[in-house]
Amino acid sequence: MRERRLTALVILCAVVAATLLISTEFLSAQNGQGKEGKGGDRDTPPPFYNPYPPGILPADLLQEIERVRGEVRFIENEALAEWQALTPPTLTGQPPTLEGTGYQAVQTLGKLMNFDEHMSPFENRACGFCHMPYTGFSGPIPSVNLTMIAYPGSFQFRAGKRTAQRYTYSPRYPVLQLYPDQALLFGGNFWDGRSTGYLLQSADAEQAQHPPVDTQEHALPDTACIAFRLQTAAYRPLFETVWGVGSLDIKFPHNTEEICETPGGAAVFGTNTMPIQLKPEDRAKANSVYDHWGQSISFFEDGPQVSPFTSKVDANINGLYTYTPDELAGAILFAGKGNCNSCHIDGQRTLLTPGQTDTGTYAVNARPLFTCFGYSNLGLPLNPRDAFFYQTTPDFFGFTANPLGFGYRDLGLGTFLRSGFGSAPNPNSAWIPLAPRMDGRQQVSTVRNVAMTPPQCPTTEAPGPYFQKEFFHNGYIKSLKQLVHFYNTRDKFPFPVTSGHCPAGTTEKVDCWPMPEVPDNIDMTVGNLGLTDQEENQLVIIMQGLNDGFDPANPSVSTYPDINTFTGKCMTGGTAATQGNEVLIPTPTPLPACASAVCGVPPLPAPKPIP
Amino acid sequence: MNKLLLKLAIAAATGSLLSSNPTVAQLSPTTPKAARVRITQGPELELAKEYLTIIRWTTNNPGGSPEHFGVVHYGTDPKNLSQTAKSPIRLNPSHSSTIFRVRLQALKPATTYYYTVDSMESNGKSDGVISPVKKFTTP
Repeated sequence: MRERRLTALVILCAVVAATLLISTEFLSAQNGQGKEGKGGDRDTPPPFYNPYPPGILPADLLQEIERVRGEVRFIENEALAEWQALTPPTLTGQPPTLEGTGYQAVQTLGKLMNFDEHMSPFENRACGFCHMPYTGFSGPIPSVNLTMIAYPGSFQFRAGKRTAQRYTYSPRYPVLQLYPDQALLFGGNFWDGRSTGYLLQSADAEQAQHPPVDTQEHALPDTACIAFRLQTAAYRPLFETVWGVGSLDIKFPHNTEEICETPGGAAVFGTNTMPIQLKPEDRAKANSVYDHWGQSISFFEDGPQVSPFTSKVDANINGLYTYTPDELAGAILFAGKGNCNSCHIDGQRTLLTPGQTDTGTYAVNARPLFTCFGYSNLGLPLNPRDAFFYQTTPDFFGFTANPLGFGYRDLGLGTFLRSGFGSAPNPNSAWIPLAPRMDGRQQVSTVRNVAMTPPQCPTTEAPGPYFQKEFFHNGYIKSLKQLVHFYNTRDKFPFPVTSGHCPAGTTEKVDCWPMPEVPDNIDMTVGNLGLTDQEENQLVIIMQGLNDGFDPANPSVSTYPDINTFTGKCMTGGTAATQGNEVLIPTPTPLPACASAVCGVPPLPAPKPIP
Repeated sequence: MNKLLLKLAIAAATGSLLSSNPTVAQLSPTTPKAARVRITQGPELELAKEYLTIIRWTTNNPGGSPEHFGVVHYGTDPKNLSQTAKSPIRLNPSHSSTIFRVRLQALKPATTYYYTVDSMESNGKSDGVISPVKKFTTP
């Protein structure tokens, strides 16, 4: 009897152990959205959200997610070591100032926050997950850049709608503002400018406040979840050193963890964006912590680890490096025939008088940012690979990211000014009438670091070895060669088709450009530049010269911080001109008309309706 | 629209007096306004496809606001150019000349259109270009 009981006990233990092993395996390896090592009320992990047809999600997605998460944790540990090595600043003076190492303290805090995976419901997404150093702090997964465009958020596989913008120099964008003599808006952050900076007087700091509560990114359901998670962060002492002892002393209700581990948009929350019940004084404190979150991350992004002004072009400006003939030709084309500096301002050119020749040189000690902080509709085609189009059904939590499906159109700044679908509330109603003039316009990015890649994959261009990036707001362009060719020939090879439907005998992105997603306000500065193939290549070369981390004394080794953290694989083969064409898919035909939730919001798009 | 722009201008000018931003120097520089803006080449047909027509011309750099609009007044009757198409461009501060290009869409096939061109600053102020009446026929 005793023997039978013992046998039964052994079997029971084995079953329990096996169950634990299997469930752990499921959580961490298959699902990746469990809360390893942490409690919570969730007994079983929610199932994947996968409304996508075959081929939208890359085959190596789970493997690549875990690869990037490992790199994120590596940098987080590095930041913890930097904090431990930091001589504490001294709070002194009036107003009180962190004397000595205040700069380093705030930037280290920002770095720790930026790479902290705990700041998401499933504790699997840090800001850095979509913004890694080796890509100039843009998207780090080559297969995602090639296929689904937007990055998978904490609840897998919800995804956003646009490419991950680079952090580098983003704090230099001013608060979104109207220039009256131009009747144009400048500044802000995000492709659509929805982070205005109106409250913190920093577009970049406010930018850092959006992803943590974006339903398809970190997806925390309440901004106070950040303060809640910071209370138990290893680096809480540093936060209190910078922002004050007691700044995190907030009394959270007992169900806070349950709320914070449920992704935003869940039906259980309804329209409540502050489901954590806090006393007014605690809510005010949590809001203040959230402001400090944005400010700390912004200062990290502005610092030497992210935006150091150490490119080859900077070295040339400072007289430390002489361009090769191709680089010099590219620099001259950039301001000349290529017309790039009409928007990507190099800051130093002057109006040439008759007989003067551009020598490609700049004033010494300038720090041009290669953007005008403006917005432009370049006429890119709708990209049917964008994961956003397919999220038309409710997920496990009852949330549907895009009920409009292919009726969605990305009007960029125009939709933001209308406080429209998929953007954010516009805090300045005086600008609403400008919306029709801004439809289709997306932010003019800095050219700096557009070409940055990990050292082992030293280029973005096939045949490589190369690192697959994605360019512009919808990732339609897959190489810098294509990018320049688009500017050069958009209006030379236009076809009244959508992507995936170029006529027989033509090659998409080579001698066939599908029609624009948004036909209004198309910028005609570019489109038929008359550049030769060699001139296109020279422009790519000078863009590569804008990668930070160039050391004139040792030009073959990048000094860019954390550029060596990539642990994935490079790609090889093919040509830059047709890079990624193997994954083109046909846009649905007929393409549903633009939904009234986007194109029917006043003031209506003009002069003609958007199809 | 002009009243709106005036209101926006007053609001923004008030705001700019109350604050300054060290990064404004990076914005598109406002080049000096040319005394007179003259067409030096064109206007001419750059592209004529079934769904898209592009008209192109070159002037001296007009200066003023960095974003300008090329404007085409067109119609099937040379004495009644009642339709207008506008396309934005950005002035290149280092170029002595500026190429304007304007998109015309949804034109009738196999039809002769007459047109004149002008350009204007982004606030709607005309550059005062004098243009001949030209014509083209769609495919």
